[in-house]
Amino acid sequence: MHLQFIDYLIICLYFVFVLGIGFFIKNRVKTSNDFLMSGRSIPMWITSLAFISANLGAQEVLGMAASGAKYGIMTNHFYWMGAIPAMVFLGIFMMPFYYGSKARSVPEYLAKRFDEKTRGFNAITFAVMTIFSSGISLYALALLFQVILGWKFEFSVFLASGIVLAYTFLGGLTSAVYNEVLQFFLIVLGIAPLVYMGLHQVGGWDGVVARLPDSMTHAWKYMGDASDNPMGVNLWQMGMGLCFVLSFGYWCTDFLVVQRAMVARNMRAAQNTPLVAAFPKMLMPFIVIVPGLIAAVLMKEAGSGYEIPLTNGVTNYNMVLPSLLNHFYPSGVLGVGLTALFASFMSGMAGNVTAFNTVWTYDIYQSYLNPGRSDRHYLQMGRLATVFGIIASIGTAYLARGFNNIMDFLQLVFGFVNAPLFATFALGMFWKRSTGHGAFYGLVGGTAAAALTYNLTTAEGNGGAIAHLHVFRSAMAQSFMVAIVAFVSCFVLTVVISLCTRPKDKESLVGLVYSLTPRPVRDQVAWYRRPVSLGIVVLVLTLILNLIFL
Amino acid sequence: MKKLLDLRFVIGFFFLLVGLCLFAGSFLMQPDPGKTESVNRWCGLLYMLFAAVMLLLWRFGRDRSSESES
Repeated sequence: MHLQFIDYLIICLYFVFVLGIGFFIKNRVKTSNDFLMSGRSIPMWITSLAFISANLGAQEVLGMAASGAKYGIMTNHFYWMGAIPAMVFLGIFMMPFYYGSKARSVPEYLAKRFDEKTRGFNAITFAVMTIFSSGISLYALALLFQVILGWKFEFSVFLASGIVLAYTFLGGLTSAVYNEVLQFFLIVLGIAPLVYMGLHQVGGWDGVVARLPDSMTHAWKYMGDASDNPMGVNLWQMGMGLCFVLSFGYWCTDFLVVQRAMVARNMRAAQNTPLVAAFPKMLMPFIVIVPGLIAAVLMKEAGSGYEIPLTNGVTNYNMVLPSLLNHFYPSGVLGVGLTALFASFMSGMAGNVTAFNTVWTYDIYQSYLNPGRSDRHYLQMGRLATVFGIIASIGTAYLARGFNNIMDFLQLVFGFVNAPLFATFALGMFWKRSTGHGAFYGLVGGTAAAALTYNLTTAEGNGGAIAHLHVFRSAMAQSFMVAIVAFVSCFVLTVVISLCTRPKDKESLVGLVYSLTPRPVRDQVAWYRRPVSLGIVVLVLTLILNLIFL
Repeated sequence: MKKLLDLRFVIGFFFLLVGLCLFAGSFLMQPDPGKTESVNRWCGLLYMLFAAVMLLLWRFGRDRSSESES
């Protein structure tokens, strides 16, 4: 890929704008609340777009196109079933407790609802996860730009981390959120022309359907048996593993995305954030997954001039999107497409670092290490945590470069830790009898169950370190089953241990548990602006989309 | 927190500049082999149209907040 002056001009323009945003916001940051929580003053349209954009890192953008090329339209399940229902649930049922409890973070909610050890477990595991995620984003960015542009690894690492450090240090969370929204529009407007041009070349959706196997153009038809579809998962594994456990475990409990709703201006905006975000979210498959299908069709067409690049003789599906950009775009728009990729990597990094510095400052430093200091002190600590987060991310990027398997290892550990979380939160918010001991040991037990399940089973050469009790058809099927086991283990353990231990007084749980919290009066809000109405519309539209691509 | 920077203006201005670069570049640059400059031209127009929408929303939002303050 050879860039011309106009491509570099567009990339530089983007850098100037992101740094400018940080610079202009700097003077508005006076307190730790301003820096770490945006003063809870962000308009809803911004929190909504940031909510989905925080998740729209380049690994997702590249990964979804790759999955689209490998598995076809079934990849949509990660959006229409694996995100939308959980987002609706979060908005209607969980945000009143996250926002209403005045918790500044998800771990802080756990402290209020349960106890400090539960907060500590979640805070420490989350803090470590975000730093490693940020480093992996940085590593993946540097590797990609080394391959497609010939940029030196070190150049990409220090350029990206320097820019992210600058705008997050200056403007804090607000800066990160604003850049996430800019990134969202860059991705949509940068890739949409590619989708249009690609579909035009292959003859539209009818052309895609005519050239690809039936199992790649239907989302549900071949889910009866794992051997019938390219993903190698069945309905039970998809429904329970992805659509329930992993989906709710991520969208309802991961502070990186939930934080974007928690910084809204008021309760209604906080509730509506994930609901409004669901509308663009349900359309994102047409931007990120359809390119993969286009690539799969072009590969079959002799004379198309397109091939998915190989790495060490093996098809490298992660290169689908960059290679399509190079195939269709002339210099100019190519610069926009590459800027979109750059932006998504950097935003993924910034989102992780800003989530890290909030959890570090409030949940670890202020709670355990140095309580009772002035707000100015915690503001300075938030800024220091940002610097530390970036440095640690650079270190992780080099670690991943030296030990490539560490990326897969870390992704695995994240899965073990995330999988049981929703059980803890669900029981915490909807069962007043659950206790801190139940929550903590449930979480630990669920995580251990996930690790055990993985090491007792195998799939595509992975797992089975202890025994080979079962062989899954695909790594995806294995990860879904690991998630199911982790959730069920955490749920059962939490219930059993809670029944054997003493709960908190009911008075202390008001505002934290559904049955003990008065419902807000919404007479003054028109019915069509209420969260429940919005949620119903979202679910109906999602159902229609599923039926269209049945 | 004091009044925030209006993001609609920032996004509109960014895409206006990018759109202008692409549109102007489509006339000034040599086309890449096998590709047409009309892609840059149409994308440039698309981005400038999007920019116009964002800037109108910014202006409309600014007028509404001025009215509510007065």
